[in-house]
Amino acid sequence: MSTPHRAAPALRAERIKLATLRSLWLPPVLALLLTAGVTTAIGAALGGTDRHLTDDPGVGVFYGLNFGQAALACFGILLIGQEFNTRMIDVSRLAVPRPGRLYGAKLALGALVALGVGAAGTAGAFAGYAATVPGAWNGPALARSATAGVLYPVLLVVFCLGVTTVLGNLTAAMGLLVPTVFLLSPLLAGLPGVRRVAQFLPDRAGQYALRYTDDPQLAYGHWTGLLLMALWTGAAAYGGLRAIRHR
Amino acid sequence: MEGGTTMIEIQGLTKEYDGVRVVDDLSFEVRPGVVTGFLGPNGAGKSTTLRMVLGLDRPTAGRALIDGRPYRELTEPLRRVGALLDAHALHGGRTARGHLRWLAASNGLPDRRVDEVLAQVGLADAAGRRIRGFSLGMRQRLGVAAALLGDPPALLLDEPVNGLDPEGIRWIRTLLRDLAAEGRAVLLSSHLMAEMSLTADHLVVIGRGRLLADAATTDFIDRHGRPRIRVRAVDPTKLAALLGGGALPEPGADAVTAEPAEDGAWEVTGAAPERIAALAAAHGVVLYEIAVHQDSLEEAFMRMTADSVDYRAEVRP
Repeated sequence: MSTPHRAAPALRAERIKLATLRSLWLPPVLALLLTAGVTTAIGAALGGTDRHLTDDPGVGVFYGLNFGQAALACFGILLIGQEFNTRMIDVSRLAVPRPGRLYGAKLALGALVALGVGAAGTAGAFAGYAATVPGAWNGPALARSATAGVLYPVLLVVFCLGVTTVLGNLTAAMGLLVPTVFLLSPLLAGLPGVRRVAQFLPDRAGQYALRYTDDPQLAYGHWTGLLLMALWTGAAAYGGLRAIRHR
Repeated sequence: MEGGTTMIEIQGLTKEYDGVRVVDDLSFEVRPGVVTGFLGPNGAGKSTTLRMVLGLDRPTAGRALIDGRPYRELTEPLRRVGALLDAHALHGGRTARGHLRWLAASNGLPDRRVDEVLAQVGLADAAGRRIRGFSLGMRQRLGVAAALLGDPPALLLDEPVNGLDPEGIRWIRTLLRDLAAEGRAVLLSSHLMAEMSLTADHLVVIGRGRLLADAATTDFIDRHGRPRIRVRAVDPTKLAALLGGGALPEPGADAVTAEPAEDGAWEVTGAAPERIAALAAAHGVVLYEIAVHQDSLEEAFMRMTADSVDYRAEVRP
């Protein structure tokens, strides 16, 4: 990419695009509310009774993220996907003719917003959990789990944005990513045979870093899981760059 | 507007899709200070050419330069070239002002330009409304506003009169002529030939991706619009015998054609009206109509593209 002051107008344009379109700024707001809100609500309702929420506090704290991540994935997909579908991408390319700069600005904006959602959502989720399920949230894994809680949204959004750019189509991206991440991946991970492969899917690997306890059935550790997801994300982002350069 | 000498040069531009040449070795220039009409039937390759000029499609061969540089290498390109390609290529959920604000920011243009161009195209009252509710004419105006945002010395507009009402068409015609009079280079594509004869000073005509003509509009009509003489006689049978019998050709004349029209009249090209009148008198044929009919731009254009049968069917009046 280029020098920061040259890339800044492209990033500012992306920020205005986000602020001027409700269907773009609503998903990250929703993601934040769900990540913190569902955890607090579930903690208040079942914190005293459901052992799932307390045996591994990582599961309890990030219960809301299961819902919030759906909104985050939509955000990553929509950020560039709605431009493909409306063909507004042509207008964007006229304004910012260097594909790397346009794409880079989108990635940067997506990552920044996701970082904000990750940080505020994680803080809110921990606060909500601590308030409703007293005593359980602290532990040696706290720092790692919280770090993963901040980074997971960033990696997920960039991953979805990259894959959508490779596909060049909003509908195809929704059709591929949403069922894979939210339905297929957890489902496959539940099947004993397929699990050996499914554990390497990006969301599975990334979410393991949120857990406090070890899972002996997984082939990697907590930090390695996050790294695996980062590799997926890097590959998707690079694929998107190649795709937009060759359009 | 900076530098009144901006020029768009298209050199040997060629585009193939799956082995089919959509644009074929096209070369022409868009000069400052005039409206250049880019004319061709639907599917002739006009939009593909404009997309290559703007760096949206890669040419198979050749190049398009703006002030000597490809579009993709321009910094803050909206200050150099304003373009309107597709009035529908925007998100209906944004307001007109919102759409122009991000465009302005992308090229470091001040926000006040947004309100200036909205007023210029007559959308000041609709600035805060979502584009979703805009008519096609309003979207075209918004597209023109976007093209004018950077006060560019060159403008490329693809079929901008589509969807405009007669008042809107007059508006855009005046606007483009004024912009050219200010020294800007204006390229305007259209398949509407009548409109072009009123708006364009210069014509670039393409068919099947190939250059057919590159000439001043008046020269183009003079050269390609052959005068037709319409003749009617009291006794059509006699007239038919006279004109159909090959009596017309005179020594040294160009090819003369005489064809019967539907209503019993005959249409003659290549012979002077004096000659026809004299011939009729000599043979005792009484004429009651003899009219010289100059071809319109549209007819000239039809003739140019007539070599391709599949095109004729596509040419729309």
